[in-house]
Amino acid sequence: MSRKNQTLAPVGATAGLFLISVLAVVCACLSVLGVKLSNAPVLPWQQLIPLGVWLAGVPIALVWLKLIGWKGDAGLVGAVFLLSGIGLVIQFRMGSFSQGLAAPLALAPFPLGLAAFIVGVSMTGKGRGAWLANMGWLAYLAALGVLAAMLVLGRSYRGGMYLSGNLNPSEIVKPLLVFFLAAYLSRRQKDFSETQNGIPVPPFFALLGLVLLWGVPMFLTIALKDLGLMMLLNAILIVMLFAVARSTGYLAIGLAAVTAAGFGVRLISAHAQARFDVWLNPFTDPTGKGWQILQALSAMYSGGLWGAGLGSGVPQTVPIVSSDFVYAAVAEEIGLVGCGLLLMVYAVLFSRGFRAAGAVRTPFERLLCVGLTGSLAVQTILNVAGVTKALPMTGITLPLISHGGSSLITTLLVAGLLAGLSDRK
Amino acid sequence: MLEILMNLLNGERGPDVLRALQVVFLAFLTIAALAVLFAPKAKPGKVSYGLLRVVVTGLLFAVLVHQATWQLAGHTKPDFVKFMRRYNKRPNAAEMQVSRGPILDRRGLVLAAPVPGDMWGRRYPLGEAAVHPLGYYHSKFGITAVERVCDPVLSGFVSEKRDELLGKGLFSARAEEGAAVTLTLDARLQQKAYDLLEGRKGAVVIMLPRSGALLALVSSPGFNPLDPEAAIADEENSPAFNRAVQGRYPPGSAFKILIAGTALDKGLSPVYACPGLGYIVGANTPPIRDSEYYAYERKGAEWPGWGRMNMKDAMAHSSNVYFAQLGVACGPDAFNAMMAHARVNEPLVYLKGVSGELQSARGNVPEISKKRTLAQLAIGQGEVLVTPLHVACFTAAVAAGGTMMRPRLSRHEPVEKLAELFTPKTAEQIKAMLRDVVLYGTGKAANVPELEVCGKTGTAQAQGGEDHAWFTCFAPRKHPNIVVTVLVEHGGFGAKSALPVARALIEEADRLGYVRKAAEGEK
Repeated sequence: MSRKNQTLAPVGATAGLFLISVLAVVCACLSVLGVKLSNAPVLPWQQLIPLGVWLAGVPIALVWLKLIGWKGDAGLVGAVFLLSGIGLVIQFRMGSFSQGLAAPLALAPFPLGLAAFIVGVSMTGKGRGAWLANMGWLAYLAALGVLAAMLVLGRSYRGGMYLSGNLNPSEIVKPLLVFFLAAYLSRRQKDFSETQNGIPVPPFFALLGLVLLWGVPMFLTIALKDLGLMMLLNAILIVMLFAVARSTGYLAIGLAAVTAAGFGVRLISAHAQARFDVWLNPFTDPTGKGWQILQALSAMYSGGLWGAGLGSGVPQTVPIVSSDFVYAAVAEEIGLVGCGLLLMVYAVLFSRGFRAAGAVRTPFERLLCVGLTGSLAVQTILNVAGVTKALPMTGITLPLISHGGSSLITTLLVAGLLAGLSDRK
Repeated sequence: MLEILMNLLNGERGPDVLRALQVVFLAFLTIAALAVLFAPKAKPGKVSYGLLRVVVTGLLFAVLVHQATWQLAGHTKPDFVKFMRRYNKRPNAAEMQVSRGPILDRRGLVLAAPVPGDMWGRRYPLGEAAVHPLGYYHSKFGITAVERVCDPVLSGFVSEKRDELLGKGLFSARAEEGAAVTLTLDARLQQKAYDLLEGRKGAVVIMLPRSGALLALVSSPGFNPLDPEAAIADEENSPAFNRAVQGRYPPGSAFKILIAGTALDKGLSPVYACPGLGYIVGANTPPIRDSEYYAYERKGAEWPGWGRMNMKDAMAHSSNVYFAQLGVACGPDAFNAMMAHARVNEPLVYLKGVSGELQSARGNVPEISKKRTLAQLAIGQGEVLVTPLHVACFTAAVAAGGTMMRPRLSRHEPVEKLAELFTPKTAEQIKAMLRDVVLYGTGKAANVPELEVCGKTGTAQAQGGEDHAWFTCFAPRKHPNIVVTVLVEHGGFGAKSALPVARALIEEADRLGYVRKAAEGEK
C-alpha cells in the first residue's frame, strides 16, 4: 500500500482528490441552488461563474503542475482546493456574487487567486525558493509601506482600516513579514538557538535588534487599531522563533507574553476592552455588544449535529455573517459534523505544511514554510475560536471561506508558495 | 437536470430531497477529508515539527469541543436559552417559540389557544362560530381581528405602548411567553347565536347596555379559522366578511326608535290621521304606506288605515304613515343632531388594541334639507344604511336610560360613554312603547313570560330578493340587563325570521343568569 502510494504521481493524486472534492462541492451547490430556485425560479448562472472557474481552472492548474514536473504534497494542495471550493459554495449561498457580472470585482478574487497560486508555486517550486532570502529587507520595507499607506489613506470601518472599495491590503502584510522573519532569523539561527535549562537566552544585541525591528510594524498596527492583525503577527513570530530554536521555551514564553499583552492592550484600548468584556459576558448587553456573538451561537445551536442543510438555514440573523462570522453560517447549515470535517481538512493542511517544512533544504525555506503555514493556522484558530466564543473576537477572516478578495488572493498565494516548498525536486 | 431538481424540490417531498442532498454532501465531504488525510506523503525530513502539528491539531479539536458545548448543549445554559427565546428569529428553532398567549372569554373559557411545538399552530374551540371577532393567525393569509390588534400582547411584547415597540424596544420588550387577552364575549352565547342562525346570512350582537360589553358578536356564515383560503375566495356568500360590524343594511322600522326619541326629546307626541292610502309625500313620488296596505291588496281587499293614532300605537303596529309624518314634524335640524349623537355616520370603535383598533363600518345617513326625503328616511328606507352594531348601540342607549356606551370587546378596556342620546324621560317613554310592541304589536312572538322583553321589528327593502329582517330588543323592562340585535339577510318579515332567534337568545341569556339580574361587575 505505502509502496504504491509512493509511486503514485503527486499530480495524479491531487487530481484524484480534486475529483472527490468536485462531488462534495457539486452536492453542496445543488442544495444551495435548489433552495435559491424555489425562492426565485430563475437560474442565477452569473452567480455560478466563480464555481465554474473553480471547476475548470483547477484542472488547468493541475495540468500546469504536471507540465513543470511538480512533485509536492498532494494532500496539501488537495486540501486547499477542497476548502476553496466549499468556500465558493458558501459565498454563493451568502449572495456574495448576487450582482453577477454587474459587479465583476466580486467575481474576480478566485480567478486572481488561482493565478497567485501558480505564481507562488513558480517562486518556490523545485527548491528554487532559496533566492527569496535576499528579499527579506525588501519584504520588510514593503510591509511597513503598506501599513503606513493604510494609516494615511485608509478609513475606519467596523474597528479596522480599509482602503477604498473595502480593499484590505493588510492581508499581504502577513506573508511579507513572514518572508522578512524567515530571512532575518535564518541568518541568526545560532543566536536564537541558545538556551539555558530549556529557557531561550539569545544574546542581548540579537534580541534588541529583533525587538526594534519588530516594534515598528507593531506600532503601526496599534496606530491602525488593527489588534487582530497585531495578535496574529505576534503569534506568527512565536511560531517562527520556536521553529528556529526548536525550543518549547519560546512557545511557553510566547503564550505568556501574548496573554499579558492581551490584558495590557485591554487597559489602553477601549475597543479591545469592549471585545474582551463581550467575550467574558455577552449577556450583560445581549441586544447591543453581545448581539453578534450571541446570534452566531444561536445560529450554531439551531444547526445542531447535522445542520439545517446548505441554503436552508437563516444565518443572515448574524450581522456581517459572510466575512468574519462565516463559520457561524457554516455551522448552522452543515452542522457540527460538517464543521468537524472542515476543521479536519484544515488540520491536514497545516500538518502537511509543517511536515513539508521539515524536509526542505535551506534554513530560510524551512522557516518560510513554517511561518506561512503558521500564519494560516493561527488565522484559522483565532477566527473559529472567536466565533465559538472560545476566545475574544479578533476580526480575523477564515482562510479560503470568508468573504473578502484580499484575503482569498493572499491565502491562495501562500498556498502556492507552500505547494512549491513541498516540492523538493 | 435542473428541471428534475426543481420538480423534486417543489414537490411534497422537497424537504426530504434537501435532507438527502445534505446526507450525500456530508458523505462526500467525509470521503474527501479522509482522502486528503491519507493522501500520499513525501518522505519525512530531518525535522518534522511534530510538536507544532500536535499543538495546531489539538487547538482545532479543542475549539470544536468548545463549539459543541454551544451547538449541541446550548440548552443547558440558562442565559443562552433566555436569549434564544427572545431574540432567535428562526421559525423552526424550538427555543425561539414564544408561546402565543390564549384568547379567553369573560369567564376564562378558551377561545383561542396555542398548540405546543407548532409556531403557527392555534386551537379555536368555537371554530367558525367565533372566527369573525377572533380572526385567524395564519402563516400564509396573515393575522386578522383580535389576533391582529392584540398581537403584541399575545406574542409576548410586554410594552403596552405602540411607540415603545419600535426600534430596539421591539427586542428588549419581549417576554418569554405571550400574555392572555380576555374578551367580553360569553362563549356559550356566541355559540348559541351562531347555531340559531343555522347558516343563514346574518348577524347577532348581544350587549350589556350599561357597560357596552359585547357578549356575542356573530356573523354567519362562518368559516374554519385554520383554513381561511376558501372563505376568502368565496365571493357569493362572502363568509370572511364580518356582517355584524362591516355589513351595511337599511335599518327599516328599527330606525323608528331614533325618530321617536328625536320627537320626544323635542316635546312632540302628536296624534296623526293615518289613512289607508298612505302619506302623500309629493306629486311624483309614491305615497308612504303601511305594510298592511300591501297585505290587504294581495287579498283583494282595501286597507282602511289605522285612523287617528298616537305614537304608542304607531310604534306597536310599526306604522310607516305615522312615522313619516313624525319625521317631517321633527325637522331636519333635530334629525341631523340625533344622527350625529347616535354616531350613525361614524365607525364605532369596539376594540383599542396595541397595534390598531377594531371598528365597524360607517353607517350612511345623508344630511337632510328637504322634508320629502326626511319622510323616507324616518322609516329607515331610502339611502339610510347602518351596521347591526349601530342598531345594537342605539337600542342599548334606550335600555340604559338614554346613555349610549362605546361597544367593547376587550375586558382590559374601561367603560366609556359615547353620548347622551335621549333624556332619561324619553328613554322611559320609548321603553314603554317597545314593551307594547311585544305585548300587542308586531313583536308579540317575543313575549317571554316574566322577562318583560321590549323590542322592535324591522323589515327593510333589499335589492334582489326578500327584505332584510331585523329584531332588536332588550330585557327586562324595569332594569334592562341585556340587549340582543338580530339581522337576517333576506329574512322577510322581521317578526318571522329574526325575532325567533332573538327570543331564543334572551331565553338562553336568562338561563345563564344575564337577564333578571345585572351581569356581575358589568364589565
